[in-house]
Amino acid sequence: MVTAAPQRPAFLPRGELDRLLDLLHEDGRTVIGPIARDGAIVYDEIRSAAELPAGWTDEQAPGRYRLNRTDSPRLFNYTVGPQGWKRYTQPPRVPLATATRDGATVSFEPAVSEPQRLAFLGVRACEIAALLVQDRVLAAGPFADDDFRARRANAMVIAVQCTRAGSTCFCTSMGTGPEVTDGYDLVLTELDDGFVVGAGSQAGERLLSQLAPAAASKAQQQAVTDGVAAARATMADQGVAAEGLPARLMDRLDHPRWAEVADRCLACANCTMVCPTCFCTSVGNVSDLDGATNQTERRWDSCFNGDFARVAGGNFRPRRQDRYRQWLTHKFATWHDQFGTSGCVGCGRCIAWCPVGIDVREELAAIAPPYEEPAAPPPAIRPPSLDALVPLPMVSYSPSVAQEPAFRADTSVATVRAVAGETADTFMLWLQPDDEGLLAARPGQFVMVDQPGFSPVPISVSRVADGALWLTVRAAGAATQAFTTLQPGAQVGLRGPLGRGWPIDRALGRDVVIVAGGIGLAPLRPALDAVLAQRDRFGDVLLAYGARTPADRLYLPELDAWAHAGVEVAQIVDRAGPEWLGQVGVVTQLLDRRDWKGRQAVAFVCGPERMMQATVSTLRTAGITRRRIFVSMERHMDCGVGICGHCQIGPFFVCRDGPVFTVAELGDLFGREGM
Amino acid sequence: MSSERSVFTELGTGWFGAGLSPHALTRLGDCCASARSYAAGDEIMREGDDRHPFGIVIAGRVALRLLVPERGAITILTVEPGDVVGWSALVAPYRATSTAVAVEPTDLLEFDAEALRRALREDPALAATVYPRILEAVARRLGATRHQLLDLYTQQAERVPW
Repeated sequence: MVTAAPQRPAFLPRGELDRLLDLLHEDGRTVIGPIARDGAIVYDEIRSAAELPAGWTDEQAPGRYRLNRTDSPRLFNYTVGPQGWKRYTQPPRVPLATATRDGATVSFEPAVSEPQRLAFLGVRACEIAALLVQDRVLAAGPFADDDFRARRANAMVIAVQCTRAGSTCFCTSMGTGPEVTDGYDLVLTELDDGFVVGAGSQAGERLLSQLAPAAASKAQQQAVTDGVAAARATMADQGVAAEGLPARLMDRLDHPRWAEVADRCLACANCTMVCPTCFCTSVGNVSDLDGATNQTERRWDSCFNGDFARVAGGNFRPRRQDRYRQWLTHKFATWHDQFGTSGCVGCGRCIAWCPVGIDVREELAAIAPPYEEPAAPPPAIRPPSLDALVPLPMVSYSPSVAQEPAFRADTSVATVRAVAGETADTFMLWLQPDDEGLLAARPGQFVMVDQPGFSPVPISVSRVADGALWLTVRAAGAATQAFTTLQPGAQVGLRGPLGRGWPIDRALGRDVVIVAGGIGLAPLRPALDAVLAQRDRFGDVLLAYGARTPADRLYLPELDAWAHAGVEVAQIVDRAGPEWLGQVGVVTQLLDRRDWKGRQAVAFVCGPERMMQATVSTLRTAGITRRRIFVSMERHMDCGVGICGHCQIGPFFVCRDGPVFTVAELGDLFGREGM
Repeated sequence: MSSERSVFTELGTGWFGAGLSPHALTRLGDCCASARSYAAGDEIMREGDDRHPFGIVIAGRVALRLLVPERGAITILTVEPGDVVGWSALVAPYRATSTAVAVEPTDLLEFDAEALRRALREDPALAATVYPRILEAVARRLGATRHQLLDLYTQQAERVPW
């Protein structure tokens, strides 16, 4: 959208609105606008102005939404209905790829996005703000969603000024309204006999010149100003104290109110469905009965759903209070870290459509009240326009790591060379990818492995050698079990390499402490390979490896080989029979009473979270600082889409910002329940 | 092990003995301390034994085992040089909580349990040096046992996504 110089406002009589619709139709656009249906204002295709909700107004309160008939001839005399425009910019279901299986051969075809040309009619200031937030989330970063971009570029925005506000509205306090100031092509302000019209882009200017309306009178322009002021006045006492809110909220992660609100919350996910900026999705599969064709699609999901945070490491937000806290802190706090803006635009939908009437304004005031009442209303901070958006710098300790984990549906084919058992419940999947780019996987990075008919599985690369990837997999669920039946020559899909891995360069010239628990050795093996490839460039190297039993140890022959190649290999198991003569206990016992003080050692740690916490504590006692301890949160990874939201820990998307983090980066989030 | 003196020198290098005062070392030496070597497979004490010694591992490795019917002897912890074996000799009812077996040739500095208990009762200064070390050893085992109890390396989720 190219913003045009402001032009003198014009006036379009209500009866001529159809001329505008005709122009849009002639431009090949489908017009999406408000209609009164099923007791609510919804956005759907309209062919003429007669379909607009003339005379309808709405009444909203916590847990309450009613449409009322009035004598007013106005067409836009409501505030906002349940649907945001995200239904059209990020639809509930978007096909991503089609996988087909023909015997042992599989192929993956990315879905092509060819969105309709649309015109959104009746977009409110808060909704424009929501579109701009979506731009930041889905289009601005290096993890851009092409489908969203195409839909957004194909939609014209015809805004409508709010001249009244509901009791649930609080755009003023979020700095997003009520006045439409940016991000539109045309803006209409409805008066009793028509519309004051202004253009906000060159496309809008063109439309306006085709309409050739008369100039708006001084009185009409004054009515616009008065109308917006009236809406603003309604909201004077019904906002949130947004200034400083992120810090205040993150400071209250242990507030008892989280449990209290969770008692009322039904975890129905309504708030996230009606929210115009909630973007979390899941990748699902639709398969035909014989499994020959399989459609992968992205579907709306919600952090309130019980299984949303179920990942390989278990369900890390099992309690409702965890999920409510995740939603509220993400929306109002960590969203700033991720996208440089609040995730809330103040539309109030989550308040009206909450079946039990939970009001976020009330919860925020109870959990994170401001330290003092501001003397003046907080300054309005508007999100920048689409043109001004620049990708936000992401936390990075290793700028050399090239990563582009956006979901581009670019699954390529890999051929199974072998499947071999490692231990009773783990096996090695040896894959030769068609796309040699996958062989560039760095230590600690992961790939998504896709079989038609199953959800793609994130698996850390456990070695790159001989033009092939070695993946160590635990047969835990349906998809991973299915891998075990693959025969040499069979094909699977591969996408990646993804994520931020171990910063081997940070360990040059230093002692290296590698601590692995269970299958956590798999993503650390490439780090050992990298260190051993240039062994003389590192100081002392210790591998401390804890496993459940001696039989559960991975890579047995290599443990000996590493010991001979200049790595101190210390092993310990949780329990053992009398035949085991090695150490029994927990992995921290291998580190107890060691001392790296003043030696600038670097530690790489991977295993179950509880084991990593104990290890980090021991390593810190031994003199390794939090900035030099790297942990892999690989068990949090879910779809590898980069933006689905499932793997979030505070401000981080594990699959994008991780899976490897320094303990300093994670801070209090590391090991905190329910984050 | 040439003499008890050199055993005490070794003791001073491990965490348990480091920082013990000359007074404490002398008093400990009076408690029928003796250096003892075990061959791999030798049993040092048996679970339930109420006359077992208190020992400090100087070299080698000791496995602490529990006998579980139908599963056999399960090693629940190994004790490495510097650490103690038989702390139960100092805590009522003085019965060994597990069976201790040398899994490799092992040197132990052993103390007669009754003599040691008597010395600790009679000498508060000695008790004030020794008991915190015992407590630390027991606390570490408790911590380790808790982690083992969690059985972290199994797939515990009732349903996994993949």
